[in-house]
Amino acid sequence: MNNKFDVIVVGAGNGGLMAAATTAKEGLKTLLLEKHNLPGGCATSFRRGRFEFEPSLHELCSVGTKENPSQIYKLFDDLGVKINWEYEDKVFRTIVKGDDGYDVTLKAGIENFIKSIDDAVPGSEKSVREFLGLNKKIRAALDYLASVKGVPNVFKILTQHSDFLRVASHSVEEVMDSLSMPKKAQNIINTYWGYLGVPTDELNAMHFLSMIHSYIVEGAAMPHHRSHELSVALVDIFEKFGGQIKYNSEVTKFLYTEDGRVIGVVANGEEFFADEVISNVIPDNVFNMSDETKIPKRQMKLANAREFGISVATIYVGLDCTAEELGIEDYTIFIQNNADPRTQYNTRKTEGFYIVNCLNNTIPDSSPDGTCTLFFTLPIFGSDLPEDLTPQGYKKYKNDLAEKFIKDCEEVLNISIIPHIEEISVATPVTFARYLGTPEGTIYGYKNSGWDNVVLRTTFEALDYKIPGLSFCGGHYTNGDGYSSAYTVGSIVAKRVVERLKGGNA
Amino acid sequence: MAKKGISKLSVMDFIKAVPKREKIISKASTNSLPSADSYKPNQIANALHPEKQFLRVSKIVEHSCDIKTFYLVPDAEKGTEKLAWFSAGQYLSINLTVGNATITRPYSISSSPRESLDGYYMLTIKRVKDGLASQYILDNWTVGTEVTASAPLGTFTYEPLRDAKTIIGIAGGSGITPFRSLAKAISDSDEDVSLTLLYGTRNLEEAIFQDEFVEIAKKCDKFRLVNVLSEENNESCESGFITAELINKYKPDGLYSIFMCGPQAMYDFVDKEIESLSLRRKFIRHELFGEFFNPSKEPDYPENVSSQFNITVSFNGTKQTVTADADTSILRTLEANGISVPAHCRSGECGWCHSKLISGEIYTPKSIDGRREADLLYGYIHPCCSFPLSDIEIQIHPTK
Repeated sequence: MNNKFDVIVVGAGNGGLMAAATTAKEGLKTLLLEKHNLPGGCATSFRRGRFEFEPSLHELCSVGTKENPSQIYKLFDDLGVKINWEYEDKVFRTIVKGDDGYDVTLKAGIENFIKSIDDAVPGSEKSVREFLGLNKKIRAALDYLASVKGVPNVFKILTQHSDFLRVASHSVEEVMDSLSMPKKAQNIINTYWGYLGVPTDELNAMHFLSMIHSYIVEGAAMPHHRSHELSVALVDIFEKFGGQIKYNSEVTKFLYTEDGRVIGVVANGEEFFADEVISNVIPDNVFNMSDETKIPKRQMKLANAREFGISVATIYVGLDCTAEELGIEDYTIFIQNNADPRTQYNTRKTEGFYIVNCLNNTIPDSSPDGTCTLFFTLPIFGSDLPEDLTPQGYKKYKNDLAEKFIKDCEEVLNISIIPHIEEISVATPVTFARYLGTPEGTIYGYKNSGWDNVVLRTTFEALDYKIPGLSFCGGHYTNGDGYSSAYTVGSIVAKRVVERLKGGNA
Repeated sequence: MAKKGISKLSVMDFIKAVPKREKIISKASTNSLPSADSYKPNQIANALHPEKQFLRVSKIVEHSCDIKTFYLVPDAEKGTEKLAWFSAGQYLSINLTVGNATITRPYSISSSPRESLDGYYMLTIKRVKDGLASQYILDNWTVGTEVTASAPLGTFTYEPLRDAKTIIGIAGGSGITPFRSLAKAISDSDEDVSLTLLYGTRNLEEAIFQDEFVEIAKKCDKFRLVNVLSEENNESCESGFITAELINKYKPDGLYSIFMCGPQAMYDFVDKEIESLSLRRKFIRHELFGEFFNPSKEPDYPENVSSQFNITVSFNGTKQTVTADADTSILRTLEANGISVPAHCRSGECGWCHSKLISGEIYTPKSIDGRREADLLYGYIHPCCSFPLSDIEIQIHPTK
């Protein structure tokens, strides 16, 4: 039968692409269905005039180098995909406005990082070192958990991995407070909450620590040719392994057997069947495309209990001057009204917190000679859009938003941006709702809130996802958001599918 | 003894978190989940970017020179209740079946955004000699004709943070259409910018929308009309072509942006003229260039290219081989053979026709090459502005 596959992957976002390439590599007949004409979801690029903009990626963690490969490098390498990785040697620059503000640049490498914080906050070295040192204990505990296949000896965990339990069940700030880390040092490190969308008094310490540790130790990496390179490279290898991708093919229905097993999907009115379906699409949307009586009650409850994660507004500008002429030396600059992450979060609509990236400072030829690009990211929820926003008022809303943040940035950095704008494009949760189709335009799936953080999601995975024949991957799944998390989880989920379909050690 | 460091934190919180999570989930509702379309960002996205708009011709106005304006209203029976809002300067991509060919064409919306709230779009279309689509439309569209269109598309729009506060609009012939939209949007206060429109025609009689422009200029001091006639002397108009001298005569004291829409010959002429004005690139905007013809006249076109090739196209799980002329875009060749290819701008820009070139060589003129960097690494092309240099094989993903 022409429409019968071993595996169907719904959605060619980062998770879906990695999952599809993985099952295809293992010789499974795989169909990848994508509603757009391009792969990648957010991992793409777009052209305006002579510029090609990166729409979403700031940087990947856990990449590493050819000589010293980390998880993501290995994932791509194992598939035979070559990416032109570029590296950033500064972790970030963080600026807090006001009299008691600061302007600190953190360097990559454990010792450099600790020193740059201690320079800014003398006396913080010990606590920062202790904090980063906890990552080792986390790794050891996770290795132990993996060795016992998730069924630990409780006594052993409580005695030998007690600090892991502490880090895994407390917020970033609780852990930092326990180490008596000065608040200013905490705030500087915690600037990174924006990448996970949850402020650090709520964000799980283990989740945050794993991410920041990777950025510090391995540095940040990005593909030379914007994220579109990652996505087309994965499609390329997927097709070389015999996989079939169909673009412009939006799935509108999930098909179940009487007893609730997913056996296929409908796309463009056509039925496709498979032994296993992997959905890169968020469960909320999948359940709305399913016969609800087939969804286990607990899974409906979980979906109802969850809150949507944060989205972003992004401003892309192509300037007719170089980064040097503009006066920006850094790749990543965080700008904040207040040092406290919770306050930043609460004032996110009024320049409380935003990120400015200048890709030319890492990849000089990412725009034509004599030009540079800036990429502003403002974390906001889809529900933060003004109540009275209409389609007619949307252009003005976007323009006002862009003007406000760009002018703030001009003032903070004492530079002149607006007169150089040759191209501009603004995205908001509306844009992400359009391209991703997620409820509220969430880009992060579900909020990594206290009760639904990555540690608990991982712990409860088997209980949370019980529909036979259907797996999920993507930012909404166990590992949370971010390119690296999505690739990792896509690979893990696909390998399980391979194991179920082929048996043995896939 | 007081605990130190991280030991102050309880180990048992981890154990407690498990029943706590279960409790939150067990208390939650088993009701159906709200559909994604019920959320505000999704609703605005759907309103602005419907996948398709089903329209009907409600009225036709004939202008001089074989130009007609078609009023298009939503076809509720087919599922379009309301027209999508847009920015002045955007276009609709229209689907047409002409004989054996399934084609698309982009047409600037000549009505203003506000007129779409009154329930209609206007497309103003000139009969182009040998133009497959325009001939078909002018000869066949009557009141009641059903038309399938895209959402409004394109970036030939005023951007306040990018453009100067005064636009010098340069329009040639039917290139006037986006400027009618912009002039009205300005007088409706939907755009906050001044527009001085240099409108080039052979004579005043050819100047469509003339009365309307005069009316708008009367009531709106941000709009000024300058007719530039190449074959008629008229006291109230400029004579000749749109030159640097003429732009200098009408430019404001401060910065200005040039927005151009017209035939290729006008671009060639005006682009040369404005070189002497030393404008920064950001202040010069062109509407879509439109279909590219005669690639072999480009300086970087290779030598000794045969005149005909085979294109093998994979789509919907089937393969078909067709004969192609070297100087016809791959998109046009496929369409002429009844193969429906997703396409909107047909000018290399929008990327809607983004397709995998499986084998063979193609040529894309530099001036309209809108491909992404990684497309070049992995062999993706825009068939709308790609020309075969050998036999090629290409993969197409039709829309439903």
